[in-house]
Amino acid sequence: MQGSVRFDNVEKVYGDRVLLSIDTFTVNPGQCILISGDNGSGKTTLLKIMSGLLKPEKATVTKNDVSLPWVKAKSMLQSEMVYLHQTPYMFDTSVFNNVAYGLRATKVPKAQVEEKVWQCLRWARLDHLTPRNAKLLSGGERQRVALTRARIVNPSFLILDEPTANMDRGSRHQTYELIQRLQSEGMSIVISSHDVEFFANIIDFHYFLEAGNLRKIDIGTKQRKHKSSAVVTPFQRKGR
Amino acid sequence: MQDIYQATKEALILLLGGDPGIWEIVGISFSVSLQAILYITPLSLLLAFLLAFGNFRGRRILISTFHTFLAIPAVVVGLTVYIFLSRNGPLGDLGLLFSQTAMVIGQMILAFPIVVAMSHSALQSSDRAIWETAKTLGASSPKAMFTVMYEARFGLFAAVIAAFSRIIAEVGCSMMVGGNILHHTRNIPTAIALETSKGEFAQGIALGLVLLFLALALNLLLSSARYRLEMA
Ligand SMILES: Nc1ncnc2c1ncn2[C@@H]1O[C@H](COP(=O)(O)OP(=O)(O)OP(=O)(O)O)[C@@H](O)[C@H]1O
Ligand SMILES: [Mg+2]
Repeated sequence: MQGSVRFDNVEKVYGDRVLLSIDTFTVNPGQCILISGDNGSGKTTLLKIMSGLLKPEKATVTKNDVSLPWVKAKSMLQSEMVYLHQTPYMFDTSVFNNVAYGLRATKVPKAQVEEKVWQCLRWARLDHLTPRNAKLLSGGERQRVALTRARIVNPSFLILDEPTANMDRGSRHQTYELIQRLQSEGMSIVISSHDVEFFANIIDFHYFLEAGNLRKIDIGTKQRKHKSSAVVTPFQRKGR
Repeated sequence: MQDIYQATKEALILLLGGDPGIWEIVGISFSVSLQAILYITPLSLLLAFLLAFGNFRGRRILISTFHTFLAIPAVVVGLTVYIFLSRNGPLGDLGLLFSQTAMVIGQMILAFPIVVAMSHSALQSSDRAIWETAKTLGASSPKAMFTVMYEARFGLFAAVIAAFSRIIAEVGCSMMVGGNILHHTRNIPTAIALETSKGEFAQGIALGLVLLFLALALNLLLSSARYRLEMA
């Protein structure tokens, strides 16, 4: 089911405020897109619309050259995208059950669930947390459990809402590393973040959300290299 | 003073001695109220969920209606059920007046708005991220609904306990539609009312103690649920 998804004329209104009015926006398989913008500019709102969790006032969603009415677009988006909240909600149960949620919800056989969950937890190096109650984890641990919980359902696109906000350096680094590995495995990712420099090394496109519309920002290779050496390298040294 | 002391002593003897008359009345109370709660809980929870998460016309009006019905007097419910079940009433042919079934119906009507309104509050204040997380991970809407309910389970439990506390101690409706018939529809509150009016305090005190003890136990349950709620 891999394929681009295009959004045209997306409009979201709260009261008499037009929050979003986006001409066009496309997400392509295999790409990593960063959306930045000021607080309250509508990043979360846009990401939830893209994930089929929030109904816009207007939107034309096109997949494989077919335009879908919102009802159909919504279920397509819900099955293709997995949205990760700014502060992920952990179900009041073990880390294992949290990660297993998506598989059980889609009625994957029991033995397979068990195997896949362990495999994913080991992949994320979270297996030591398996029996812990997920609600009692630290912010960084929650974010990584949430990423694992999302990865296991193997979505076409992963939508990450400020995945590294309010974290200490170590957690930020561990989360970054997971995202980077997801990306190198070919996962398509959309990230919203204030921290453009932090993600500079893995993103293919950068959009700035302003006055309800997306503006494409040029990410020159020179700038990218400079940023990566200035920010990521000393950071990695510290993290290890 | 001497009388009260004597009556209390007799009451304890009745209770601890396992007086069959007393325990039969207690049994009727529990059987009727547990049935009422059992029958209304699934529908109440579903309705509360739709009121909290749905987006349909008349939602607001329905919510305030249920909150209004929280304070409905038991005698008014009793009167209404009585009229419907009385021989000349619309459901008179069923011959249900002065039966346990009539009491169950009355208590269902009393408990329903309590469970709906309180569960609605619990679900309304639960994190929207629960629903969104469930949906985005591929859960069907019913599955996502159960997940939301599970996460709010202590609040929902509190709603059911509160409704049960109200109906097990309720006298007006049971008296009217049950008729306080010995071995049949005499439950704890109607028995207390009758014994007291006859000036026989021992049985009244014994049953009163059962209710008090129950209230205490339910409150303990509730506060432990609330404690879990605050910890979450
Ligand atoms: N349900 C709602 N009703 C009314 N206004 C809303 C609603 N949800 C969001 N808003 C408003 O829309 C604006 C954008 O919110 P949104 O959460 O999308 O911004 P954001 O870019 O993600 O901000 P942040 O960087 O703080 O996460 C805010 O001003 C917010 O108050
Ligand atoms: Mg946001």
